[in-house]
Amino acid sequence: MSEWLESAITRAQGINDWLTPKRAHALDLLANTKWPTRKTEAWRYTPLRPVERTQAKVMSDKFNLLPVAITDLSAIEVVFANGQFDQAQLAQTLPEGLSIALGGDLNSAQQADALNAFSTIKPERHIFGLINDALAQDVVVVSVAEGVEIAQPVRISTLLSQGSESHTRVQVVLGAGSKLTVIEDVQAQGDSLNTAFVEYDIAAKAHLEHYRFALQTGSNVAIGGSHFNLHDHAKMHSTIIGFGSELSRLDTDIIHAGEFADAKLNAMYLLDGKELFDLHATVEHAMPNGKTEENVRCIVADRARAIFNGRIHIHRDAQKTLAELNNRNLLLSDKAEINTKPELEIYADDVKCAHGATVAQIDKQALYYLQTRGVSRSKAQVMLNFGFINELIDLMPNAALAEWVRPIIRERFAQMEVK
Amino acid sequence: MTEQIDKALAREYEAGFVSDVESETFEPGLDENVIRRISEMKGEPEWMLEWRLSAFREWLEMEEPEWALVDYPKIDFQSISYYSAPKSMKDKPKSLDEVDPELLRTYEKLGIPLIEQQMLAGIAVDAVFDSVSVVTTFREKLEEAGVIFCPISEALHKYPDLVKKYIGSVVPKKDNYYAALNCAVFTDGSFVYIPKGTRCPMELSTYFRINEQNTGQFERTLIIADEGSHVSYLEGCTAPQRDENQLHAAVVELVAMDNAEIKYSTVQNWYPGDENGKGGIYNFVTKRGICHTNAKISWTQVETGSSVTWKYPSCILKGDNSVGEFYSVALTRGRQQADTGTKMIHIGKNTKSTIISKGISAGRSNNSYRGLVRMNPGAEGARNFTQCDSLLIGDQCGAHTFPYVESRNPSAIIEHEATTSKVSDEQMFLCRQRGLDPEKAVSMIVNGFCKEVFKELPMEFAVEAGKLLEISLEGSVG
Repeated sequence: MSEWLESAITRAQGINDWLTPKRAHALDLLANTKWPTRKTEAWRYTPLRPVERTQAKVMSDKFNLLPVAITDLSAIEVVFANGQFDQAQLAQTLPEGLSIALGGDLNSAQQADALNAFSTIKPERHIFGLINDALAQDVVVVSVAEGVEIAQPVRISTLLSQGSESHTRVQVVLGAGSKLTVIEDVQAQGDSLNTAFVEYDIAAKAHLEHYRFALQTGSNVAIGGSHFNLHDHAKMHSTIIGFGSELSRLDTDIIHAGEFADAKLNAMYLLDGKELFDLHATVEHAMPNGKTEENVRCIVADRARAIFNGRIHIHRDAQKTLAELNNRNLLLSDKAEINTKPELEIYADDVKCAHGATVAQIDKQALYYLQTRGVSRSKAQVMLNFGFINELIDLMPNAALAEWVRPIIRERFAQMEVK
Repeated sequence: MTEQIDKALAREYEAGFVSDVESETFEPGLDENVIRRISEMKGEPEWMLEWRLSAFREWLEMEEPEWALVDYPKIDFQSISYYSAPKSMKDKPKSLDEVDPELLRTYEKLGIPLIEQQMLAGIAVDAVFDSVSVVTTFREKLEEAGVIFCPISEALHKYPDLVKKYIGSVVPKKDNYYAALNCAVFTDGSFVYIPKGTRCPMELSTYFRINEQNTGQFERTLIIADEGSHVSYLEGCTAPQRDENQLHAAVVELVAMDNAEIKYSTVQNWYPGDENGKGGIYNFVTKRGICHTNAKISWTQVETGSSVTWKYPSCILKGDNSVGEFYSVALTRGRQQADTGTKMIHIGKNTKSTIISKGISAGRSNNSYRGLVRMNPGAEGARNFTQCDSLLIGDQCGAHTFPYVESRNPSAIIEHEATTSKVSDEQMFLCRQRGLDPEKAVSMIVNGFCKEVFKELPMEFAVEAGKLLEISLEGSVG
């Protein structure tokens, strides 16, 4: 066990609040969990040295941290500044049918529900998920009443100042037939460490539109997870954009717990410098007639390292499942590295499942074509890279977000040094 | 439909008989003395014993691998006998006439006649019975071409330098748990050397047979194809039908020097256990080849037997322009479990690899493809294409795919595709409409599914493989 984990456990043992039963359970599990090494399958390509060596400390000051503005978005802001929920940033009046509150502030019936639901969607195999269970400073519960469609997106921002450590947790509950858009966004300054986990329970016929941005770069450790539970006829559409950092790790789990659920996941990550980004996306088809479509695209430059593990698990009862995973990777430099593993585990016979993965470099002919048209080589590269990613940006249902992220990505490509 | 599946699964394993051969078998158990005795029985040079003992010491420190998607009770390595040989082999028969007729009958019954006149011309066979090689046919004809084809125990006496140079050079002693065990206790196997510029005049073949109870078979095959040479090698295996599990932990090493080509084909039909998963062979095998410049290694396997299979024939593409191929059909039924695939390690420039894997699961079996494609930084212009297709027959089985793709060279191109499906109602309807009964229809569809792999097999093997698949699938549809 690492010293860091030992100290984390000691800290967690000192917390006494409404979540204590769940924290105790997580601590029990942690006591029997080995600290991941290269031999741990889930961490095979992602060394945990940055966590072991971190100097980040939990800070009590919020330092007036504010989320970056997104034009035309007008979101309902849920802000965690250095791990603490910033009540002042939350709108005074919320749309009818939407409630957002700190777990500690809920009435006893609501709190009991929240406690029961806590950590039931996120699988127990994620070691940092358990650490988050044990250490989460503030837990926010977002819920949408049955049949209510919330037009305004809810944006959950996790903000960290220099050298800060934070552990944040959100529970999102969509009532039957409701509709909600959630944006998860981490903005961290240097030398920080955070774990940010969100669990989504999407009731029958409800519809979640989801975004997760991990656009921090530099010397950060950012570990998190988004975990979705889909009931009958529920729908979700998720977009993940990551830039990587010293260590960025994201686990997503999509669980088809009801029939006829429909999940779409589009993920893209663009890595430069010595960044590392590790995405583990798991889909569990536990019930029949589910549908999943995943597109994961990745561009790696300089000395960066990309890791993708896409697992689709079709259980015995999940007949008539349609599941598809498409993973495409571009490797721009001879020092960069891509490790990808699309997995299928299938126990039902009447299903259609496929995955495809490719690793290559930019099409030389396309590059040549653009150069013959007078576009400089470096510009042509940016254009082609951007085109590769933009295909997925175009699929983002929220236009304001797409408009906001496009120039950021273009800028990122311009900075990437292509060798 | 279920009834028919059950009926099909209850079919007899045709190679399940036991031969009544008097054997000399070691007491079960494993320690350094057992290894010393094996080495002494074989009259091995001192360095070989030392090599075995160091492997054994490494093995004691190692842990049994648990990452494969297979489930079996822990093996008690002390309950296995590590050496068993027919008594009649003790005096080393000098010619076929001196070989125990019961042994010859065993092979004849398996369809492998060892009398040269009766054989299909063009195949030389090394027959390995439990821990020893019984007969190697057509040796004189091969010697004319300069080809060495003999039991590895004999090669240790006659060509010690060649063996010493290459043994363990592709699969190191402590490569993995079962390879280390094999290094310590291997008893026999085949040795092949093809001289420079020689095209081996006939197909070479080894037929492995486990006969004794409570023994493990640990054989070792070493094939060296010198510069510009070519060889095609076939391997077949069967075992009697028993309630206990038996361990088979082999190591195969291939060395393809510059411009050489080795084609290695396997039809694996070890006893798979009964419908409840009782008995059967644990087939834990390490197979690996190294390709030097412009060399090519092609693995083709048809896996229908064994209760548990753990097998990843691999290619190290070290030389520039070298080529690695892996064609596999794995069929599991009953309670069989197979975790099989390949590793393609691209080191040299412009290296190419192709992986075609077809998995068919029926009954309550589980069938996994596990593969690794790695492009090292120096693998400029390297290329890989992988296709893994799975076919499910029945709703109690599983089909899984675990491909690892690692690239560290931007000019390398990797493509991986995998699909999973069942025999579709439309396909069945079409066939039945044309007057085929359901069994024939499935057999035809499955054969079509596997065609890409079968066409890579040498003719005699392709016929055998087709038959095996047909028998295995008999009645598995309604």
